[in-house]
Amino acid sequence: MKNKLMLALLATALTATAHAQVKTEDAIKWRQSAYATMGWSMARIKANVEGTYNKDEVIKAANVIQAIANSGMGALYVPGSDKGKGWVDTRVKPELFTDGAKVGKIAGDFNQAANELAKVAATGDAGAVKNAFGKLGGTCKSCHDDYRNK
Amino acid sequence: MNSNNRTLVWDLPTRLFHWLLALAVIGLVVTGKVGGNLIDWHGRIGLVVAGLIVFRLVWGVLGSTYARFATFFPTPGRIAAYLRGEWRGLGHNPLGALSVFALIGVLTVQLLTGLVANDDIAFAGPLHDLVGRDFSNLATSWHRLAVNVLIVLVVLHLAAIMFYAHVKKDNLVKPMVRGWKEGGGEPARGGGLVALLVALALAAAAVYAASGAWLPEPPPPPPAVTTPAW
Ligand code: HEC
Ligand code: HEM
Repeated sequence: MKNKLMLALLATALTATAHAQVKTEDAIKWRQSAYATMGWSMARIKANVEGTYNKDEVIKAANVIQAIANSGMGALYVPGSDKGKGWVDTRVKPELFTDGAKVGKIAGDFNQAANELAKVAATGDAGAVKNAFGKLGGTCKSCHDDYRNK
Repeated sequence: MNSNNRTLVWDLPTRLFHWLLALAVIGLVVTGKVGGNLIDWHGRIGLVVAGLIVFRLVWGVLGSTYARFATFFPTPGRIAAYLRGEWRGLGHNPLGALSVFALIGVLTVQLLTGLVANDDIAFAGPLHDLVGRDFSNLATSWHRLAVNVLIVLVVLHLAAIMFYAHVKKDNLVKPMVRGWKEGGGEPARGGGLVALLVALALAAAAVYAASGAWLPEPPPPPPAVTTPAW
């Protein structure tokens, strides 16, 4: 019993430190990497929508975006990471850390659009993919417009 | 009304230029702000604007009387005379001329920065590859800031037209549609077919240059077998 309690306490302490230990620099690097990876996937889908359509490529790319969108990236916006350097100086606006509900709405729309894209990608319907792709791009843009420095 | 009272002020190419530009700017602001798949149209309309601006620059030299920059260039002397109420003339008055040059200037900035801009999502200007990514990002931020200047200028432009219509009882819109103004004065001359063809040819060249079609083809993607299948 006592051991179990100790273990539980230890586990809590560890997870707590695990959170606290996301260093600002890493958090910024990781989010920049995640966005850059989505940039790769977006370019890949666009090339397919505009050129010869390869269903498998699009599925792969759409799944990457979906996975990142649902990864809980909010965890990378640790307090204090409104300034600092990851791969490059962060471009996030401080408002992202204070606009709670509004950011949440944008992030939710983005998740939904990413899920939708992955869903239509699986059908291989190029027209529907193009549509869902445009909608997803719109959600990327709405976040960049409001929460990323120009 | 007697047709002898009509004086040609704006030749047809100038009027077409004006209204096409107005449509294009509306289209660009809307597609730029909305984004999504419309950003592709943003790029296409932007190329049209490349043609329009170069057309106007050439027409400002080769066009008919009141389209020429020399006719309405807002020298300090002309502006002072206008403000003293001593300016007599047809076409752009010296303050309107300032607005013309400012609009063309900001549009040119908008065009050049747009051509190398990127949205980090799924679009890059056709000349993006000519500059590095860092410069492209910088140009993109100018693009996004300068458009606010453009919007302010457009609002001033519209406000001035309203002011003329309601306060000075001078409708500036009709001449820009029909070409002529009532009352006497020197009708516009010049800007013949040859001048038009030269201006159109240079405008077409500008669209071609802006489109990046002349850039060396990117190396063909390596055949699939050269990248690992995972
Ligand atoms: C919830 C807001 C949000 C959403 C949604 C979003 N982004 Fe971003 N994006 C940002 C922020 C903030 C940065 C700057 C990150 C930093 O520098 O710390 C960024 C940076 C980027 C970068 C530059 C990364 C680098 O190399 O520094 C790219 C590329 C990018 N985003 C693409 C996308 C794409 C593509 C999508 C949609 C599929 C998207 N973003 C959706 C907020 C968002
Ligand atoms: C010449 C007139 C042009 C005007 C008036 C114009 C206007 C605009 C506007 C209003 C925006 C949105 C900015 C914002 O969100 O605040 C925008 C974005 C953009 N424009 Fe243009 N544009 C022009 C030309 C071009 C051209 C020729 C290109 C490239 C071919 C281009 C590429 C872009 C890109 C890539 C963006 C997205 C920037 C971002 O989302 O960060 N533009 N433009």
